[in-house]
Amino acid sequence: MQRVIFHIDMNAFFASVEQSANPALRGKPIAVVGSGGRTIVTTSSYEARAFGVKTGMAVWEAKRCCPELIVVVGDNRKYTHTSSEIMSIIRDYSPVVEVFSIDEAWVDVTGSINLFESAENIAYLIKARIKHRFDITCSIGIAPNKLLAKLASDLQKPDGLTIIKPEDVSRIMERMPVGSLCGIGKKTVRELKVMGINTCGELARCDQGRLTRKFGIVGARLKQMGEGKDDVPVIPFGEEDEVKSVGHSSTLERDIDDPQEIRRFLLQLSEKVGSRARRYNVSGKTVAVYVRYADFFTSFSKQTTLRSYINLSDEIYKAALALLEGVELEQPVRLLGVKLTNLKSQAEQLPLFEDDRKKLFATQAMDKLNAKFGNRAVTFGSLLPGKEKAGNHVIPPSWRPDGIKNVDVE
Amino acid sequence: MEFKIDKEVFLKSLQKIQGIVEKKTSMPILSNVLLEATESVLYVTATDLEVGMKSSYPAEIITSGKITVGAKKLYEIVKELPNQIITFSTKDNDWVEIKCGKVHFNIVGLSSEEFPYFPTVKEENLFEIESGLLRGMIERTSYAICTDDTKYNLNGLFTKVEIAPDGNQILKMVATDGHRLSIANGALKGTAGPELLKGVILPKKGINELKKITDEEDGILMFGFMDNSAVIKRGDSYMVMRLVDGEFPDYTRVIPAANDRVITINKEDFTHSVRRMAILSSEKFKGIMLEISATDIKISSSNPELGDAMEEIDVNYGGEPLTVRFNARYLLDVLAVAETEHVDMKFKDELSPSIIVPEKSESFLAVIMPMRL
Repeated sequence: MQRVIFHIDMNAFFASVEQSANPALRGKPIAVVGSGGRTIVTTSSYEARAFGVKTGMAVWEAKRCCPELIVVVGDNRKYTHTSSEIMSIIRDYSPVVEVFSIDEAWVDVTGSINLFESAENIAYLIKARIKHRFDITCSIGIAPNKLLAKLASDLQKPDGLTIIKPEDVSRIMERMPVGSLCGIGKKTVRELKVMGINTCGELARCDQGRLTRKFGIVGARLKQMGEGKDDVPVIPFGEEDEVKSVGHSSTLERDIDDPQEIRRFLLQLSEKVGSRARRYNVSGKTVAVYVRYADFFTSFSKQTTLRSYINLSDEIYKAALALLEGVELEQPVRLLGVKLTNLKSQAEQLPLFEDDRKKLFATQAMDKLNAKFGNRAVTFGSLLPGKEKAGNHVIPPSWRPDGIKNVDVE
Repeated sequence: MEFKIDKEVFLKSLQKIQGIVEKKTSMPILSNVLLEATESVLYVTATDLEVGMKSSYPAEIITSGKITVGAKKLYEIVKELPNQIITFSTKDNDWVEIKCGKVHFNIVGLSSEEFPYFPTVKEENLFEIESGLLRGMIERTSYAICTDDTKYNLNGLFTKVEIAPDGNQILKMVATDGHRLSIANGALKGTAGPELLKGVILPKKGINELKKITDEEDGILMFGFMDNSAVIKRGDSYMVMRLVDGEFPDYTRVIPAANDRVITINKEDFTHSVRRMAILSSEKFKGIMLEISATDIKISSSNPELGDAMEEIDVNYGGEPLTVRFNARYLLDVLAVAETEHVDMKFKDELSPSIIVPEKSESFLAVIMPMRL
């Protein structure tokens, strides 16, 4: 059966949320920057984009392009909340929704078209409801598979609706640059160019053996992508492969080399990892730390496998600290990460010894309070000073509206 | 060195030390067995620095000497040799020649000089203990020894002698893994030294080997301590095990005193029931539920991926109803070593340590911590 897949992409999401929350910003060039000290534009409104403001620019650079630019410090909670609401609107039209990132999702509407007359009608309904509720526009691509749906939504921005019908696929692909496809990055584009391949049409006609020799097993997949073929199903939440890790990393607001401060961030990350693992009743046996140095290029990661499964923050911290102390840090640290893997669902066996039990109950009480009164309402004393907040609080690409990948952002 | 030995005797001597030699290859010499031929006997020694065993066997010694050989390979070879007298001799460069009938092996050994020192045991320091008593007490406790290496102080059997009010000595063995605990008592006839009065932790591996020794036959063992090790002598064999260096937790605080809700249940019926219910409690959803009412226990388990199961056993309880959840494995481990027809289960509430004892038993007590409901 011919599938009908949507790709829905919120336009200038963070900026749109800010503009919708504050009428004074509407129609104006604005740029959202991270809340930490590193001031890089994460998203800019279409008004600002007209002046040449781009994601990734430093604020001074953006202001040179557009002197009237209004700089707004991002509020990640607002974005994750809005995103979750939007995803639930989308779910009203099909349960098969795969959240790709905070502002993008695929929807398989094959089974629900009959309920809403046509795919186009569904798209208009979704657009209208998001516009009405949040005053945010989105671009929707409708196509027979995820690859083409994503391509279609990219074709018209903002506020687009693009349909790629099965019979039009080969015509559209013929002159499409290979770099437009999701999954073909700059490096692959360059390598294909060397082979004389610039468009999807050329990629589709290329001898598969030639592609395989150059790219290995990916070669066959590349040829299919050139043809606009993609069999990957839309995988709704809860049906993905089991979660394999719980991790947290944070770019520090400035490079640090003070061991005491590094330990503090490590504890903070361990607590985030631990509380998330506990919330979803998993414990893990392997603890990994990841460090990126100030020069941005050198990094290392180390891991250790323990004898028992853990999810208490202090135990994660102890293991992570032991890993970190086993190496000599060559430079100030820019990014730190802690990850718990080798997971299993935790049996709810209570400890026999009272001290262990007290620790467990204290942790549970702390988790409960934090769930009720917000993140880190109760936390470790050593995390309290409050003089600096770690990280520039970037919403990780793995963020999902629900489940264990629902990372707390701030 | 050269000696002749009966195949069965040699095989038995090598079999005895298979559990002791080091399996990892971090120190190759520890995977080897030391063979020492003296005037009239052959000494066979193995150690992993934690547990060691030295036994003597009758052999016809032609020239004395010593050598070490890979314990596992030598055992495999001897096992497959024909049932005849084996001639074992050393050659240059630590090579070893094994001849048996028309079979001929040349294998490479390692010099005995690298082999760790094995302490000479002073017999006067040992006291007598019944093999059967040790066997029973180890059986009833060792299942609860912790296997998590990081909790090293729980990786053994806490062994202690207490003096009863009537002056008799009571030998106590305690094991726990932090979720459950098991205690066995027995009357000790010999005279315990200061080590046992203070209490020692015997390592898990040593306990496993000691259990094998006690399984061989009843009778009297010699037991004692030297250089931070426990020593066991039986016939011509010595075993030493290094004591676990650590503080055993105060287990007396874990044993509930006020568990006054007591249920007596037929052990066989209960065992079968728990086994049946445990089928549906997978790795992920461990745990079976016991719903205790005045006249029966409802035992149930459910597993979102498979389904659910329930069965009832009549009991004479009469008290307040109680619902409690356990890891089925922990219940079965205790039931497997309880030797009476009935067991008593004693509860306080659903989140407090629970007791299982063989009916009217003074010599065995198990404590199990429930799971969250």
